[in-house]
Amino acid sequence: MENKEYDVIVIGSGNAGLVSALTLQKKGKKVLLLEKGRVVGGLASSFIRGRFEFDTSLHQLCEFGTKEDSDAVYDLFSRLEIVDKISVEALPETFAVYTLEHKEKYVMPVGKDAFLLKMEEYVPGSTKSMEEFFSLCEETKAALSYLNESKGHPETEVLMEKYPHFMVVAPYSIEKVLKKIDMPLKAQEILCSYWSYLGSPASKLSFIHYASMVYSYITKGPVIFKKSSHAISLLLSEEFVKNGGTLKCLTGVKEILTQNNEVIGVVTDSNEKFLTRHILANLSPNVVYGQLIQNDFVPDKAKSLTNLRNFGARGVSVYLGLNKTMKELGLENSTYFVYHSLDSDREFKRMHDIFSGNLAATLKNTSPDTSSLVLTNLIFGDAFDKLVTKENYFEIKEKLAESLVSSFEKVTGVNIHDAIEEIEVATPVTFARYTGHPEGVIYGYLATSHDNLLPRIMNEENEVFIKGLRFCGGFGSRLSGYSSTYINGEMEALKTLGEMENERV
Amino acid sequence: MKEFKIGMNAKLDMLKFKNLGEEREKEIEKSASTSVKDSSLTNTLAGILHPKGIKVQVFHIVKETEDTKSFYLKPVKLESMPPFLAGQYVTLAVTIDGRTYKRPYSISSSPNSLEMYRITVKKEKNGIVSTYLFHECEVGSTFNLLGPFGHFTYQPLRDSKDVVFLAGGSGITPFMAFLQNQKFLEKIHSLTLFYGAKSEFDLIFKKEIDEICSKNKKIKVIYVLSEQKRSDYAYGFIDEEKILQVGVENKSFFVSGPIKMYFSLNEIFKKLDIPNKFIRHEIFREIPEDLVEQNFQLTIKMNDKTLTIPCNGKETLLQSMEKGRVKTLAHCTVGECGFCRSKLLSGEVKTEDSCVHEADKEAHYIHPCVTYPLSDVTIEVPIK
Repeated sequence: MENKEYDVIVIGSGNAGLVSALTLQKKGKKVLLLEKGRVVGGLASSFIRGRFEFDTSLHQLCEFGTKEDSDAVYDLFSRLEIVDKISVEALPETFAVYTLEHKEKYVMPVGKDAFLLKMEEYVPGSTKSMEEFFSLCEETKAALSYLNESKGHPETEVLMEKYPHFMVVAPYSIEKVLKKIDMPLKAQEILCSYWSYLGSPASKLSFIHYASMVYSYITKGPVIFKKSSHAISLLLSEEFVKNGGTLKCLTGVKEILTQNNEVIGVVTDSNEKFLTRHILANLSPNVVYGQLIQNDFVPDKAKSLTNLRNFGARGVSVYLGLNKTMKELGLENSTYFVYHSLDSDREFKRMHDIFSGNLAATLKNTSPDTSSLVLTNLIFGDAFDKLVTKENYFEIKEKLAESLVSSFEKVTGVNIHDAIEEIEVATPVTFARYTGHPEGVIYGYLATSHDNLLPRIMNEENEVFIKGLRFCGGFGSRLSGYSSTYINGEMEALKTLGEMENERV
Repeated sequence: MKEFKIGMNAKLDMLKFKNLGEEREKEIEKSASTSVKDSSLTNTLAGILHPKGIKVQVFHIVKETEDTKSFYLKPVKLESMPPFLAGQYVTLAVTIDGRTYKRPYSISSSPNSLEMYRITVKKEKNGIVSTYLFHECEVGSTFNLLGPFGHFTYQPLRDSKDVVFLAGGSGITPFMAFLQNQKFLEKIHSLTLFYGAKSEFDLIFKKEIDEICSKNKKIKVIYVLSEQKRSDYAYGFIDEEKILQVGVENKSFFVSGPIKMYFSLNEIFKKLDIPNKFIRHEIFREIPEDLVEQNFQLTIKMNDKTLTIPCNGKETLLQSMEKGRVKTLAHCTVGECGFCRSKLLSGEVKTEDSCVHEADKEAHYIHPCVTYPLSDVTIEVPIK
């Protein structure tokens, strides 16, 4: 058995694991990054079928912007000195949302003014409340960066003076705030189309969380990576190694070792032991507390919190390589939401059935004569577990793909079937296989009341139950999604760095 | 000015904001501190469908033709073999003289009977593994099996309901799984199987195929013999004329056979303007024609270890690694699956990269199973 010591061990090389490992390595720490899979990236990956390379999970990247008008992720990649190696493609619109029940269609552009104008066209009389919404967004954005700077200890006076509106809206759901500012219902519903990206209905999603995301999408515009998410994951890992970091793929962690409630090391699945006093876990607390640490050594409060939380969305993705371009298909949008109705509470309930037919779609041209279409259907609750067996698995997979393709065809009126050259379907089983997440969850924990963004951030420091053990990634304090996990990776790395500095004092 | 508030008044709203953390604390206090759930049925199912490796035992061997044998494999520990889709393959890890070779074989048994898998092996000239299996493997032998894998499957959303199977020689094996799969046969309207072989004695599974066809009117089989003329069989190769006789309009073609057959059929498909979506290929390795027999050194970096072994311009890096007793992760051995993905640190190579990710190409990743050295080569292999 080999005994090696590291300043920090990062378990899991998803977005947050990669960013935190690179951040710490660049700060001169000795970092070991362990990945149980063959390749880095976790869900931020890609795969090849025929002449198509499909991105595994990215639909739209938020908080990027441009060199001249950069947002948080751009700034993060600048700090990591990799932004010049990343090329993105700006998407032409924020989204197109369709309803199956009433055949509605709304296409929302990028840019605050354009978005406002379009909303006024769809919902006359909405402008005043939309303007008020945008001004709340701006204050929220500023307040959140103040909260970050204050490292969880904001001064009430500063908040009261500079961000009074933020403090008023902060405890409420997006639905409640939009109602209060008298936004017409239809405008509320259109504006909240992104709810499924965050995985909770508008009545449950915190205003702060939704507003900061949608504001970035509208003002900076969504982007996708020109190459693939795999390219970014690979870049992050290569930079990490170039900076002297140690990356071990095909190395799962079997046990996290603790002593007197402090981290002391890990044992890998091939019985190698590595010592450390700091672990950043880019995986679920369920696996860490339920599998990696001996039950007797897990503090009761850690168990209580983990047991309290509900899992967020699971998903089915259908990846289609089409032998026609977007123009040939007659489709011009890149992001589509398809719901039965725009009532997110109803749809959230409906999506507890695995065949809801609701979906989010990403379409892009992939070569001069092809395009790729990825349809993703979220599933909430345990319906998938209840229905699927090893006997019916392949049949259910086929049916799921069929139901999503027909949903998309129904609302767009475009024949997709005949253009399908390649097809792959990923289910919660697939995501469980590659990530090891319980239930194959892809969205971390459900964002709702006590488990929304703010309570997570506010209590984060009280929830370091074992000294030296922090979480990052989709199950972490900034919740799931590409931008959230990249940003969270750096935040947690800096907190770990802070702890190390405190120890030295 | 009107007070901005959401609830009763702004002060209470702010108080509510300040209490968010405390509210969370209260919820935690109410929650049980029982041990934490770390998996569900979905995770269990993922383990059943995608096991990390299955130990199997040969329990029955059938000599099908002069140079092919079928091996019936049953699980040693598991209750049953993992469910698979007709057309998929498994990788057999065969250890000969202390060297472990991995070879992909299509499953030729029915997806409905999971108490065992059948694989069918053709003895290849100079084939180390096939020769070993053909002559040495006995009932009771055990192997490690990986898989099932592969995308040579029927997809109702993509494929036509009118299907044409084009099989050459031992390429018939994946089609046997299709022919025995009731669910697949229910989904389609018609199926024509062209099966080419040298002579009637080289037709593997002929009896089985004829029996299946006699029971199902959807299926039509056309045997094509290249070295034997018989009135009840077609003569020659599976060519344009024969294919046109059954029609090509809106039909899905599945091809499995020797490499020469792929090339000649591809020419025909191109000429007949058959779209890519209607052409499916079983995995195969294209062996470049201009390989030169020349000895080089292959240096392999694995985590902290480095070792150097001989390699040759006529052999893939994977073949040299197998011979050099280097453990590999390879599964498909034909460039497709990506399991042997390695980073080329130095040296010149000839490689096939249609299944290498765009970003990987730029970062000099290769698949050693389809890479031939043109000089001394150093690679970094992801293995423990």
